[in-house]
Amino acid sequence: MAAQPPPPSRTGSVGPASAGGMGTPTAGTPGSQGSGSNQNLNQIVLEYLSKKGYSRTEAMLKRESGSVAFDANGTPLAFADRHKGRRWHEAYNVVKTWVDSILDIYKPELCRILWPLFVHCFIETIADCYPTDGRVFFQECRKAFDDEHSDDLRALSAIQEPEHVQQNDIAQLYRTNKYRLTLSKMGFATLIEFLETKESEGGKSMSFLINIHLDIHTVDRAAIGGARGLQRLMDEKRGDEQAPAEDEGIPGHHPGSANLDVGATGALHRLQLAPMPMEPDLMDDVKAELNHEDSTHPPRAGRSSLADQFEQRIKVEPSDDTAPSRETIPFPPSTARDVAMEVQKVKENRDRFRIEGKTGGVGPGVSVTMFTFHNTFDSVNCIEFSDDNTLAAIGTAESYIRVWSLDNRALTSRQDPPGFQPSSSRRLVGHSGPVYALSFSPSAAVPQPQTNGHTDHTTTPDSQPRYMLSCSADTTIRLWSLDTWTNLVVYRSHNSPVWDVRFCPHGHYFASASADRTARLWSTPQIAPLRIFAGHDSDVETLAWHPNGAYIFTGAGVGDKTVRMWSIAQGTQARIFTGHAGNITAIACAPSGHTVASADDKGVIILWDLRSGRLVKRMRGHGAGGVWSLDWSVESTVLVSGGADNSVRVWDVQPSKETQAKANGENGGPVKLDGTAANGTTVSKVAKAKGRDQATPDMISDFKTKKSPVYKVRFTQMNLVLAGGAYLP
Amino acid sequence: MSVWNPDNITDVAESVGIHSLPKDVVDHLARDVEYRIAQVLEEALKFMRKGKRVTLGTQDISHALRLLDVEPLYGYESTRPLRFGEASLGGMERLFYVEDEEVEFEKLVNSALPKVPREMSFTAHWLAVEGVQPSIPQNPMTNADGRSQDQRSQDLIPKTSSSTSDGLSVKPAVKHVLSKELQLYFERICAAILDDTVPNHSDLRNAAYASVRSDTGLSQLVPYFMHFISDKITHSLRSLTVLTHVLQLVAALLDNPFLDLAPYVPSMIPAVLTCLIGRNLGTPADGMAHFALRNLASSILLRLLRKFGNKAKSLRPRAAKSAVKAWLDPSKPFGSHYGAVLALTSIAGTDGVRSLIVPNLDVYDGILREGLADDSRREHAEAVVAAIMKALQTLEEDGSGSHGANGLPDGQALRQKLVDAVGEVIGNRVFETGGSALIAAVLEKDLFA
Repeated sequence: MAAQPPPPSRTGSVGPASAGGMGTPTAGTPGSQGSGSNQNLNQIVLEYLSKKGYSRTEAMLKRESGSVAFDANGTPLAFADRHKGRRWHEAYNVVKTWVDSILDIYKPELCRILWPLFVHCFIETIADCYPTDGRVFFQECRKAFDDEHSDDLRALSAIQEPEHVQQNDIAQLYRTNKYRLTLSKMGFATLIEFLETKESEGGKSMSFLINIHLDIHTVDRAAIGGARGLQRLMDEKRGDEQAPAEDEGIPGHHPGSANLDVGATGALHRLQLAPMPMEPDLMDDVKAELNHEDSTHPPRAGRSSLADQFEQRIKVEPSDDTAPSRETIPFPPSTARDVAMEVQKVKENRDRFRIEGKTGGVGPGVSVTMFTFHNTFDSVNCIEFSDDNTLAAIGTAESYIRVWSLDNRALTSRQDPPGFQPSSSRRLVGHSGPVYALSFSPSAAVPQPQTNGHTDHTTTPDSQPRYMLSCSADTTIRLWSLDTWTNLVVYRSHNSPVWDVRFCPHGHYFASASADRTARLWSTPQIAPLRIFAGHDSDVETLAWHPNGAYIFTGAGVGDKTVRMWSIAQGTQARIFTGHAGNITAIACAPSGHTVASADDKGVIILWDLRSGRLVKRMRGHGAGGVWSLDWSVESTVLVSGGADNSVRVWDVQPSKETQAKANGENGGPVKLDGTAANGTTVSKVAKAKGRDQATPDMISDFKTKKSPVYKVRFTQMNLVLAGGAYLP
Repeated sequence: MSVWNPDNITDVAESVGIHSLPKDVVDHLARDVEYRIAQVLEEALKFMRKGKRVTLGTQDISHALRLLDVEPLYGYESTRPLRFGEASLGGMERLFYVEDEEVEFEKLVNSALPKVPREMSFTAHWLAVEGVQPSIPQNPMTNADGRSQDQRSQDLIPKTSSSTSDGLSVKPAVKHVLSKELQLYFERICAAILDDTVPNHSDLRNAAYASVRSDTGLSQLVPYFMHFISDKITHSLRSLTVLTHVLQLVAALLDNPFLDLAPYVPSMIPAVLTCLIGRNLGTPADGMAHFALRNLASSILLRLLRKFGNKAKSLRPRAAKSAVKAWLDPSKPFGSHYGAVLALTSIAGTDGVRSLIVPNLDVYDGILREGLADDSRREHAEAVVAAIMKALQTLEEDGSGSHGANGLPDGQALRQKLVDAVGEVIGNRVFETGGSALIAAVLEKDLFA
């Protein structure tokens, strides 16, 4: 990190190759010592060139230097010569003033062009070695973007020297990629026209930036209608809603595609969203078991038998979804434990409290049990509940993991020395850095059979989770046995802190996300990763599994802000979702397998439709600071979120009318977003104009906790919400 | 122009032997240092965010440095905020440094171990039931406009939080928050009980007692009532009216069938005992009035013990011990002695009289005679004698005395025997009252000894 001395000559620092193409106005020979010495230098260079026979270069240099010295016809160089450092600043101001005063129909879309222009003007100024002017420009113009781009602004504000431009991740991201933006044909035409008339006042610099660094996609709004329609655009922008469009940004993509190429419209990767089929042997066993269960405990009147339930469950969905095959994603043969778990799942499916969708504006009543951890001194990094609701685990900044039994049972181990008094909590020590995520292996809660009011406690040991994964800043992932409470395996492959780890819904596999910008797929018996998912432009901060185990979703932080969907079998990116303005902090895929929800640290939750790859809706209400956890009800009708603003919130996930229309219009076919879309017409939009802090009308309830940020929310199989948080007085 | 002071660069350059650094270079380096710091901060923020915290710590910086492949700074890792000292270098220049406490090794070794932080634990509660947030203490109270009510009830929070000398503060896990209605109720009750300025206040007071006696939803207020009672009793020893009213509040609370006072008995006993055996109750001008208060206190004590005596095993012995101590202390006034005798009678019943009062009577005789001889104190001493006689009468009522089993001596012989047994004053009194059952009961000790 040794600082380099400043480059001796200004010519060398104009920028990297990507910035200054041949024949562009910036690639001149600006001089700081005055034009006199510059002339001499030019003379020397010209002589050298002619001696070597570089005739075309010579001609070019002659032409350009000529325009500097003698030609005053308003070329950028003459303009730049007067006050070089302020050149970009002035050019930017010209465009900004024009955008501010333009017709209202173009304003919303042209507003969006200011941010990339601002970034590039700033970077160019710095790269031209004008730190003071760059700073002045930055301070003067950053206000407009404080809300939406606070993270990028923070990263950029540090840049002061040309070599910082080379080293800064964000600056490089903007320089080496094209910022994608969609404008209407008319909007773009007026912009170009304006830039041409203002050519001498910076218009040329701006059109240069637009050519080099922006990828402007023009559409005919009148023709296309739907989401890009003029009316919709105006509606959206009226409520001072400043959010990037789906296809805007550095990794801007064509919506509904994993492909960043504009031309690749129709190339939509087919997804296999149906549940993973059951192994035939397992299915037979489960059926036998259920029949046995039905005969011993005949169902109460009005209730279907378990076997019927099971038939229903596997028969449904003759939809056009294809299921991933067991050949492509192999699993170890099923065991008695799997049979027991499946049986329990069927039982729960029959017995649970159903949460139907919000109909007629009345939200379903959701019950939340809050587990508050005391005396944590803010050292808890994550909280996790096991699927069978018997265990809670926390990962701490002090590198250890602590597991509690929620029902105050002693946590025993076969390895306990005789005379050892097991308590209801255990400490797992092994990591050498803060533990950032935990994941229990799949398990199923035993519904306590209630016979005549009394509950008999027969928690069969079969259903309990047997393993737990943890990941830490020490770059390792560890597998812990919950039978012996010891560390079984250390998985090393990431070379940066591992931010998140998740078990596959069916066990055996797991995925991890790391600061090394990759997500990796592992299987528990192997210590090397099976797949490496690379593509994010910054840390992969969070991940989630698709319920059928065939896909994972990853979300990234500053500079990328995308959610990407990866296919496990192919190891390729299946979808990309852009539109978040903050770091992605949580992702959850609906159990129905058709919708994924992602949340960012600005408090916005976005729902995405997987099949079409489109944004369904944005939901606002959480305060800034991060939505740490999301989860769906079993019926995929309700989303619950918990965050740093000390609240647990419940959301209606039915798409609002317009967005549904949009999705239909865009795809030109009857798209069934998911089961809930069919009856989604009753949702009424209450408020059109909504401030940034106001909650969108689809928030059903907001439960505040007492000074306890909520780290984890989870719907149990019975549709009760468990929330975990630490009390921070 | 950079935030980082370029002079620092010059200083560092000089320290490694470069003396003439051009200004350009210094400025450039200063800007570069600033960029590097920003870079470290950017990474550190990531660690803070993943730690789900809102304050950046020294640990985060260390992790960030490690991630950037820089050797971390050692010696700054701390969970406590660092203290920065400031020194002036003359003129406008100021120097900031981390204050390093000097600790004497000897002291450190010999000092007590620091307090262990509390064990991490979890509690569960309902944050919402079927979409409705129950208003229980674990959930924040919200009023109509959705604001938290925490501040408003601040003045009613008992002082349970204490910060110890070594800076480790232990706070109650959950703040006790009262609803506005209860606060208002509490204030009204307290005012009604104490306020004598209002005309026909006794009606108001009686209404207040009646309410406390029968209302169902007062359990949340009990700790506040307890605090009120002990506070008033310790601070109003001079005012018999206040003491009486407060004792009546205790009685009213005891009457309420919906309250579980068991956890508060240990804090009620001292208050009642104070009213019973206190040295100076009321002002000298009140005369004999404080005996009435002591009577009231003794009846309350009796009820307390009847209700909770078998739940708290150590209650009776402890109360009896302090009563005996007060009784046999000659420095205490007769008022205290009177209270103590009443207390012993009510605490331990006949067994107590038999085993605690009777054996000590001849010791106490000296004090009594002295008191009876002194004109100013005779009245008080008489009251004590009456109390003792009353206590002895419980023995008679008990009737376990072996009724004339061994024919008792007659006349003066009997009187002498009584005087020997229980002292001159009481002996004579017992003889004069003349009940043979009483005499038998008093002499029982001798008979079985």
